[in-house]
Amino acid sequence: MIRVRELSKTYRVPVKKPGFLGSFQSIFSREYKDVHAVSGLSFDIEAGERVGFLGPNGAGKTTTLKMLAGLLYPTAGSIEVGGHRPQDRARAFLERITLVMGQKQQLLWDLPARESFELNRAMYGVERGPFKAALDELVTMLRAEPLLDRPVRNLSLGERMKCELIAALVHRPQVLFLDEPTIGLDVEMQVQVRQFIAEHNRQTGATVLLTSHYMQDIAALTPRLLIIDGGKLRYDGALAALAQRVAPERRVVVRPADPELAALGFVAHDGKMVATVPSGDVNRLVQRVLSSHPLADIGIEDPPLEEVIGRVFREAVA
Amino acid sequence: MLRVPLALARVAVMAAMQYRASFLAEMAVGVLAAAGVAAPLFLVYAHVPAVAGWSFEEALLVTAFFLAYNAFVAGIIEPNLGAVVDGVRVGQLDYMLIRPVDAQLLLSFQKVAPAAAWELLASLAVGGVALSRLGPPTPMHALAALAMLGSGVAATYGLWLLVTCTSFWFVRVDNLRFLLGAITDAGRWPIGVYSGWVRIALTTVVPVALVTSYPAMALLGRLDLELALGSVAVAAASLIVSRLVLLRALAHYTSASS
Repeated sequence: MIRVRELSKTYRVPVKKPGFLGSFQSIFSREYKDVHAVSGLSFDIEAGERVGFLGPNGAGKTTTLKMLAGLLYPTAGSIEVGGHRPQDRARAFLERITLVMGQKQQLLWDLPARESFELNRAMYGVERGPFKAALDELVTMLRAEPLLDRPVRNLSLGERMKCELIAALVHRPQVLFLDEPTIGLDVEMQVQVRQFIAEHNRQTGATVLLTSHYMQDIAALTPRLLIIDGGKLRYDGALAALAQRVAPERRVVVRPADPELAALGFVAHDGKMVATVPSGDVNRLVQRVLSSHPLADIGIEDPPLEEVIGRVFREAVA
Repeated sequence: MLRVPLALARVAVMAAMQYRASFLAEMAVGVLAAAGVAAPLFLVYAHVPAVAGWSFEEALLVTAFFLAYNAFVAGIIEPNLGAVVDGVRVGQLDYMLIRPVDAQLLLSFQKVAPAAAWELLASLAVGGVALSRLGPPTPMHALAALAMLGSGVAATYGLWLLVTCTSFWFVRVDNLRFLLGAITDAGRWPIGVYSGWVRIALTTVVPVALVTSYPAMALLGRLDLELALGSVAVAAASLIVSRLVLLRALAHYTSASS
């Protein structure tokens, strides 16, 4: 469905010397520097896959997503989405994709969300019947019925995101580019949006490429990860394999907390004892704990995703 | 074919009417602006019977077309192309450019300022007064005037779009838009008032005379075929060049960081 080869995007940005004098000088003589937002990125995504696109701020995630959606022209390399070159902005291509940006909005601010859906219906050329069916389905899944007739400016952030998702999906796109769709939402709303995206993917088989800074989004939604940093691809593979590769340790968690376990390498944390050990040592450690604390509640966990991703970023920098 | 423009017009008018106080204030401004356009004419013609061969009533016709042009700029051009300049700066064009609709259509006609309708009504009123004194035009002259109005609107639209496109490279071009607005103000006077290079500039480079004086001349039966064809040629060139520049400009769209 998506094929990216040696994709690069370079921005030419003005460099201004600091202070008033710098601003004044920049009127007459301006220097520019090239910023390589994306460099030589290559990957493939199959139809129906859910892929998480991760990286620190400024890594090139959004730039890549915008090139995939046809908003930005690549400086070099090639992209193919559903057999189309995105930057050509062919009607057939634009009808197949959608882009949701958590930090921007497509809804008409002063009008009820329903009017934005109607406008999208006209623009995407969706007939009344299929439109109503898609709208009813999305509204039910997102429990958004009470929101449709209120001006968008009177909706909360979470309510607005629900309507943004409906507006983005009402033409039944096959490829979803989701750029931080849960940003700023409270925990409950994040869960609702995640459940919706997963359910929508299950029902429609649409391909999903998601960027997010919330690791819970990634853990819940995207079995495969693309990690980029400095515009370069650092990892492409399964989430579970990443944890094994980067952090081959497991966490052994014992409840209730008993300071005696410190002798076995445990540390107290939030009313429990936690020890991080290589995967091969887990059985031995559990047996030792059970021999001295037969009634203890013992759990074995992967390291937190934030920690795993953090290590990937640090490795990339090193 | 008209589905998208009609849907755009519908939400544009609905959005404009959401704020009653603002809507009423804009209407009041529209009426005052119309009065402001007609006032200098009365002042000048209180002292002279004709200016550059144009009588008061004939000049009033030019004023009527100038008001119609102003209504077009205030009602369509400014709300849309002005928003494009801001959109380029803050990256708000993203959602427009992913629609399966011609980008030029969306960029140019997504918004409307209904209060500009007052200037259009004022244009009809001023034109009606002028024609009541001059006598009705022949159907042929009326048709020619309408054709010249259309071609003049197309020519000036192309120019506004061209200026707007420069924002894709230079980002902030507000001053350029203000300058263009100030220059096109010259269109309120009959083209005969100007001579030499100014006349050439007002019919080709900043072709505001094509949308004000030429339709008036057509209505009065004073426009020869050569000038009419020239107007159509300038309009065609303006539309084609602005379209090509827009397509090139879109390739330079850098959006904005999230």
